Amino acid sequence: MTKKHPDVRFHCQKGGRCCLRKVPCPDDAMPLSKACCRGRVRICRIRGDRKTCARMAHLGLLPGSELELICPGRGNKCMVRVNGGTISLDRPVAEGILVTPA
Amino acid sequence: MSTHLNIALAGNPNAGKTTLFNHLTGAHQHVGNYPGVTVEKKVGICQHGDHEIHVVDLPGTYSLTAYSVEELVARDFLVNEKPDVVVDIVDASNLERNLYLTTQFMELGIPLVIALNMMDVAESRGISIDTERLAGLLGVPVVPIIARSGEGVDRLLDTVVQEAAVGRRPDPILLRYGSDLDEAIAAMVPIIEEHHLLTDTYPSRWIALKILENDEQIIDKASQVNPGVSERLLAISEEVTNHLMHTLDAYPEAVIADHRYGFIKSILHQGVITIRFVGDRLYTSDRIDRIVTHRLLGPLIMAAVLFGLYTFTFNYSGTLVDGLATLFATMGDMVDRSLPDGPLKSMIISGAIDGVGGVLGFVPIIMFMFFGIAVLEDSGYLARVAFMMDRIFHFFGLHGSSVMPFIISGGIAGGCAVPGVMATRTLRSPKERMATMLTVPFMNCGAKLPVLTLIIGAFFSTHQARYMFLATLASWVIALLAAKILRLTVLRGESTPFVMELPPYRFPTIRGLVIHTWERTWQYIKKAGTVILGISILLWAMMTYPGLPRDQLAGFAAERAQLLAASPPQVVAAMKKGSDDPAALRLAAAIRKIDARQAMAGLRNSAAGRIGVALESVSHFAGFDWRTNIALVGGFAAKEVIISTLGTAYSLGDVTTDKTTSLRQRLAADPHWNPVVALSVLTFIMFYAPCFVTIVCIAREAGSWKWAFFSMGFNTLFAFTLSVAIYQIGMLLGLGG
Repeated sequence: MTKKHPDVRFHCQKGGRCCLRKVPCPDDAMPLSKACCRGRVRICRIRGDRKTCARMAHLGLLPGSELELICPGRGNKCMVRVNGGTISLDRPVAEGILVTPA
Repeated sequence: MSTHLNIALAGNPNAGKTTLFNHLTGAHQHVGNYPGVTVEKKVGICQHGDHEIHVVDLPGTYSLTAYSVEELVARDFLVNEKPDVVVDIVDASNLERNLYLTTQFMELGIPLVIALNMMDVAESRGISIDTERLAGLLGVPVVPIIARSGEGVDRLLDTVVQEAAVGRRPDPILLRYGSDLDEAIAAMVPIIEEHHLLTDTYPSRWIALKILENDEQIIDKASQVNPGVSERLLAISEEVTNHLMHTLDAYPEAVIADHRYGFIKSILHQGVITIRFVGDRLYTSDRIDRIVTHRLLGPLIMAAVLFGLYTFTFNYSGTLVDGLATLFATMGDMVDRSLPDGPLKSMIISGAIDGVGGVLGFVPIIMFMFFGIAVLEDSGYLARVAFMMDRIFHFFGLHGSSVMPFIISGGIAGGCAVPGVMATRTLRSPKERMATMLTVPFMNCGAKLPVLTLIIGAFFSTHQARYMFLATLASWVIALLAAKILRLTVLRGESTPFVMELPPYRFPTIRGLVIHTWERTWQYIKKAGTVILGISILLWAMMTYPGLPRDQLAGFAAERAQLLAASPPQVVAAMKKGSDDPAALRLAAAIRKIDARQAMAGLRNSAAGRIGVALESVSHFAGFDWRTNIALVGGFAAKEVIISTLGTAYSLGDVTTDKTTSLRQRLAADPHWNPVVALSVLTFIMFYAPCFVTIVCIAREAGSWKWAFFSMGFNTLFAFTLSVAIYQIGMLLGLGG
């Protein structure tokens, strides 16, 4: 069974170490840790080591994905809802995820 | 048609795998919705029509990479054991994430049946799923089920049997991962096939994909089998990785994951899923989370819940504990009456009944506590506790998930380090896991509690509750500090990021709770019936043999004879009758004094006594006498033994008080003991070497005896240093009076 994947455009950006980006990060992008409790956001970039990025990618935390924030930690820790599941992230991870309002 | 089938249950954590497994097999095993709790392979059998189905419950995973032990276990099982059918349990309310794993099963080309679980939850969230269409688009049978109630399970099994009867292994699905990666795969596959690199186990395209994903296990295997070819493949992988990093600022695995999600979205958007409600509607779980994990309210609620667990455990188990104690006392009395005096009777009463009874006496407490923990775990609250505690634990070099092993080991009230050490399996980072494993024995387990209660009751009875609370607090502080020390020295390394899925809040099922509680309680009972029984008898023997030399025995006999001969015959007769005549009572007390001295000399001469005396040359710095030493050495076998050994040692040595005096009163009256000694002993008991069973468990979990011995040495040295400091400073300040 072969399925042609819908077209995805990749953008080239310098700097950062990881992961896939479909949308270039605008100037008003901010780390998830600062964006806490702001409702829906879109990931534009993820920084971190290769393993962490891969693990987050498997959980659906990829540049381009939309998140719903449920953040009782107010910046210390984040709870995000992605693909119907709730994932908790600690501060260093949340700091490495740049988001824009969706 | 085959009558014997092998199936595996696979799926994301919290998708309901274990619930389905319980429903199918009725197995007694641990269930939970704490992410990653099912780490072991669990097997059960279920009968469906003429078919005997062997079911394996695989660990819950999000993907099939080599990042965690669970994923490796699941992957290796699917590839090596080749089950007839793999039932992929998919949470219908969380379809996109769950199908991610499904696509990886399809990439691997394994015979699959999708069990679409929690259809009721999906319905309540306004999600309708066209299962026929989903099955058609994926090319895999899809059966909607509700594992909690068992709805649809029969149909699922029918489908499983049908699929197994067809007996085909589907071709691996060919997904596209973007032109760069597709080209790399196209270049790698012919090389893999030409050299038959691992192709007897894995599909060739899958091997290429894993090499691109930087999968350590596959790369290692390939390098071992054919280093030259692996080099070529790795060179291709490196080239495309560099290219992707340069052009997309992305590693191949992120690109691959993105394409897998893209594939899933493209399927779901073809009319598979219809959502009736508006997208950003908050689910009940999220509403609860906003309160329960609130920055200020969260810790307060957590403290209240933990206090509730404490109260529940100790208030409601009391009657049962007393009942069991009476039962064992009655058993002891029965043996005492029905057997003649001698070594056999002594062994059965002091060795078997007292030793095992001491342990089984805790069963109600353990059971109530595990029930409480099972409620917290199954409802999803424990994952929130881990979430809230992560920040504190992170500071000490541990992980939020370390909280669970600490609580099980006795972090709240009683517990056991053995299941605690086993519970560290939920931790992914080896160093954090090791640090947790080595520090959980510092918690006050169910066996240490009665010792603490005894000593605190004897010397600090006016502030008993306060001291008990302080002891719990001290165990946490010391454990966390020790973890920090370990993480700064022998276990130095980066902390793993805390990325964890929080399961939705659910009402626990009675069946699940009963299975959980029983499973853990049984583990404890088994320990009492085997290890503790053996150790109790061994200790009894060590405290009994070798007996006193003949000349000493004769000396004590002569003393008694002399005493009797010197007394008027009517007083001797009155004493033998048990009269309460004052002269007879005085004579009886004098005889008892000689008996006690004989017993004391016997104990001192026994194997255990000699060890105790030998250790006194060191232990006197911390204020321990030889009898305490015997109990502490015994406590290494099992902490439960400390009380019974102290009881034996001090009842033998006691010459002034009558039989009914409790151990607590004897210790309080003993000239060797004072508040400073008590505090020093208390500290040592709390922190010295974990018991033998825990040591074995650490060796097994850590995969080497090195860490087990380290834990023995490190803890004992640490505890002894603390005790010496307490004793010496306390005595200097003159607090020992």
